[in-house]
Amino acid sequence: MLLSGIASAFDQEATYLVLNHFDKPLAGIDRSLIDNFNNSTFNFDSSVDALFEDIDDHDNPASKYMDDIKDLGRTHNVNFVLLNRIQHSGDRLIMEGLLFNTRSGGLIHRRKINLKNYNNGLVNELSLWVGKTKNQVQKGWEKEREAILFLNPEEISYDKTPIGAALRSLAVPGWGQAYSGNTLSAGLWAAIELSLSLAFISSYNNYDSSAKSYLENIKLYDATDDEKEIADYRDSAEKDWDDHVLYSKLAITLAGTTLTGWVSNSIHAWIFGPRPYTNIYQKGMPHSTLPKG
Amino acid sequence: MRILHGLKISLLVITIVCSCTIYDKIFDNPVDHKANEEQGIGAPTLVFYPKTQTVTQTDSILIGSFIVFKEDSTKPFSGIHLQIEFPNELMELDTIVPGIFITDTSQSTPLFTYTYDDNIVDLYAYFLGTVKLDLEGTGHLADLIFNPLTTGNDSIGYNLSECIIVDHEDAQIDINGMRGAEIIVQ
Repeated sequence: MLLSGIASAFDQEATYLVLNHFDKPLAGIDRSLIDNFNNSTFNFDSSVDALFEDIDDHDNPASKYMDDIKDLGRTHNVNFVLLNRIQHSGDRLIMEGLLFNTRSGGLIHRRKINLKNYNNGLVNELSLWVGKTKNQVQKGWEKEREAILFLNPEEISYDKTPIGAALRSLAVPGWGQAYSGNTLSAGLWAAIELSLSLAFISSYNNYDSSAKSYLENIKLYDATDDEKEIADYRDSAEKDWDDHVLYSKLAITLAGTTLTGWVSNSIHAWIFGPRPYTNIYQKGMPHSTLPKG
Repeated sequence: MRILHGLKISLLVITIVCSCTIYDKIFDNPVDHKANEEQGIGAPTLVFYPKTQTVTQTDSILIGSFIVFKEDSTKPFSGIHLQIEFPNELMELDTIVPGIFITDTSQSTPLFTYTYDDNIVDLYAYFLGTVKLDLEGTGHLADLIFNPLTTGNDSIGYNLSECIIVDHEDAQIDINGMRGAEIIVQ
């Protein structure tokens, strides 16, 4: 459901037309504005359904509705038009505020934030925004926003930690990544390390059998005085010797690669390990100059 | 615990890698002309087999005498005179028997005789085949059997300057090297 409200606020120096555009009915929001800004007068009107919905579709949003803003200024006899748009997305709030100057009709200030909803967060954030435009921010509102932060961070305990992921990957390649929820990289690391390990084991087995065969042939070579047997055993021993050197080098290379990969896998698990989310609060638009008065 | 597990795996890999020993490539059978060449001894060569043997005082010492040719440069021969020097304080000569090569695998009986004095054995042999005049290639000339006299170690060798190989026309064939043998009596 789309709710739109029009409220007019008047104070001694500047006058505001406040337009609220919410995706859900928000009980008490009008009352809170009146209570929080008691030096202003608010008039509410729910007859308007949509306001400046397509402002971002234009190349220059700041000047798109200049004529409409000027009309609103003349109609309601106000200096500024303040538009508040609120959308709910799960447990988060997407709040957009637009402040127009009715003399020029231009957009002079815009705020867009995406934050985790907190107790009375919507009313508080709206008060902060309106208060900021009017330079009437109360300390209590800022304190209340801090409720979305942990007050005692030292008491936070993490079920999953990067070091936990690293240690798991050190024990079994890919386990740390799986523990962090990265199943694709977990599978890749496990497959790579398994392949390297199998290749290493295979090379080592080939080395071992070549070395044993070499020693056996050398023994037979030394034990005979038959010219033909000597030549045969020597040929076999030379081939085994070449093989045992080749597989030894291969085994050492593969062992080094496996070990390096194993440690890298652990470091990777630590780097991309589970960490707390940091996007509790996200500011969408930079500050611009606030209107005076 | 997990760190320990990782360390164990690393140690296992390191142990396996370290166990990849590269063995020395040693071919040193005196009857192998390639092994002799690698030691700078040219063919044809007079050698003893085995090159080293360890026996007790109650054992006999059996040493084979061989002539080794290179495969692609053999020369036919019929007669041999070998002068062998042995340590007579360590062992005494028991007997000498013709080798399988000089008897053409027991198909013929060669002229085979020897004399010895102190530490020198002179061995004379002539191939007397029924179907061929000469022998060709590497082969077993004789077996020398000694009895140990005391414990110790010493070596037996050929006196090349007195050794002669001839073909059936009495033409001499050059001998390019020899290898002795070591005997250890315990």
